[in-house]
Amino acid sequence: MILRIKGLSKVYPGGTQALSSVDIDVPAGQFLVILGPSGAGKSTLMRCINRLVEPTSGQIVFESKEITGPGRDLRATRRQFGMVFQQFNLVKRLSVLTNVLTGRLGYRSVLRSLVYSFPEGDKRIAIECLARVNMERKAFQRADTLSGGEQQRVAIARALAQEPKVILADEPVASLDPKIARQVLTYLRQVAKELGITVLCNLHQVDYAREFGERIVGMSRGSVVFDGAASDLSDQVLRKIYYEQAA
Amino acid sequence: MAAVLPARPGWRLHHIVLAAGAIAFLAWCADGVNLRPKELAGALPVIGEYFARMWPPKWEFSAVLWKPALETLYIALWGNVIALLIGLPLGLCAAGNVVKSLAVRSAAKAILNLLRSISELIWAVFFVAAVGLGPFPGALALGVNFGGILGRLYAEALENIDPGPVEALAATGASRLQVIAYAMLPQALPQFVTYNLYWFEVGVRSATVLGMVGAGGIGFELVTTIRLFEWRECGVVLLLILAMVTVIDLASTYIRSRIY
Repeated sequence: MILRIKGLSKVYPGGTQALSSVDIDVPAGQFLVILGPSGAGKSTLMRCINRLVEPTSGQIVFESKEITGPGRDLRATRRQFGMVFQQFNLVKRLSVLTNVLTGRLGYRSVLRSLVYSFPEGDKRIAIECLARVNMERKAFQRADTLSGGEQQRVAIARALAQEPKVILADEPVASLDPKIARQVLTYLRQVAKELGITVLCNLHQVDYAREFGERIVGMSRGSVVFDGAASDLSDQVLRKIYYEQAA
Repeated sequence: MAAVLPARPGWRLHHIVLAAGAIAFLAWCADGVNLRPKELAGALPVIGEYFARMWPPKWEFSAVLWKPALETLYIALWGNVIALLIGLPLGLCAAGNVVKSLAVRSAAKAILNLLRSISELIWAVFFVAAVGLGPFPGALALGVNFGGILGRLYAEALENIDPGPVEALAATGASRLQVIAYAMLPQALPQFVTYNLYWFEVGVRSATVLGMVGAGGIGFELVTTIRLFEWRECGVVLLLILAMVTVIDLASTYIRSRIY
């Protein structure tokens, strides 16, 4: 198991219970889809893993080391987890290449990066990552000149540039049309397989989950309500994920 | 089927009371500033007469003017550079999404308020006393006052950026300063350039009066011609100022339209 989530809970200030005692074990190299409606706690779960959000209680163990709690090296932890977002979150006015290079910032000293300079090795890594999503030809274009699907591929390249062990993809195709969405998910699955990267992918569309998920974890109102193979995703389970009201 | 709109909220009593109150306050203030429209109407011909005396402008005088006019541009330019050097660090410290500490933000805002609330003319008086006559105190005065204004505008521009890329870069393991350099500044940059261009324009206008207190530029010639009742020379100065401001206005509008 590369990642063990144990009894993870998050209560936001204001009292919203986003996660209640979530347990998930993820074996290395798996493409895991986390399926659930908006507000099920999928985004919060991901942000607890790379500590963009501090969990209220519970443990996250990554490669047999606990990464929750104070006093851990936050930068070193975050480097291991690449993240892909629904809104791509590229810096629009920077070039495609610079956007991918920002994936290397976690490894670099502040001083050198503040003069917008990267070592040759980093540039090679960035171009290689762009080539993996077939975007190397647009390396010197500004990010805002790209289409949505292209921007998301660059965002995947940025995550790859971190040389991460895990990619956290938070609704990566929710702003894309079905054809482009499949293409982006295919790229994600392919590069993850090639590089042996574990993927946690939040989705709310059932058909994509069935098509791409090696394993599906269903979430509803902050709790795991299903954990199994795509073939076990019955209508009854879907009702539980999407329609069941508070017990 | 006809669409049915919900009832539009109408005027309420408290709206009318507030409007009446505002008008009453304006009237009360008018008394305070001694508004006398009749006297102004009577004085219009006198003002017209002054302008008539400026005609025809004494064009030879422009031979004397080009040097102070150029100096005015230098003052505006370096005033803006100094304003950038003062405003950028303070603006960064004052922006809520850059600095979390309330104490630091409040201190930065307090300094910006102080710089801004003292007008450049008053600063010029201080700096002339400190470093002597000439364009240098003029540039310092503009720099300090505009630094206070630009710092506040920079902070607002930073606070209005898209937080998505900021989160994305934090997630890569980038440090706080790296996130500022790679996700925040690039997003706010067009705004910064726009503000600086606009305040350069304002700077040229302001620099034309700094000469009145001995802080260099064309203002000195302006005041001298008025004091000596040299109206035709005064006309040349005014036309030159108008020309400079117009050219800079057109240029900066063009540049701003090309930044995106």
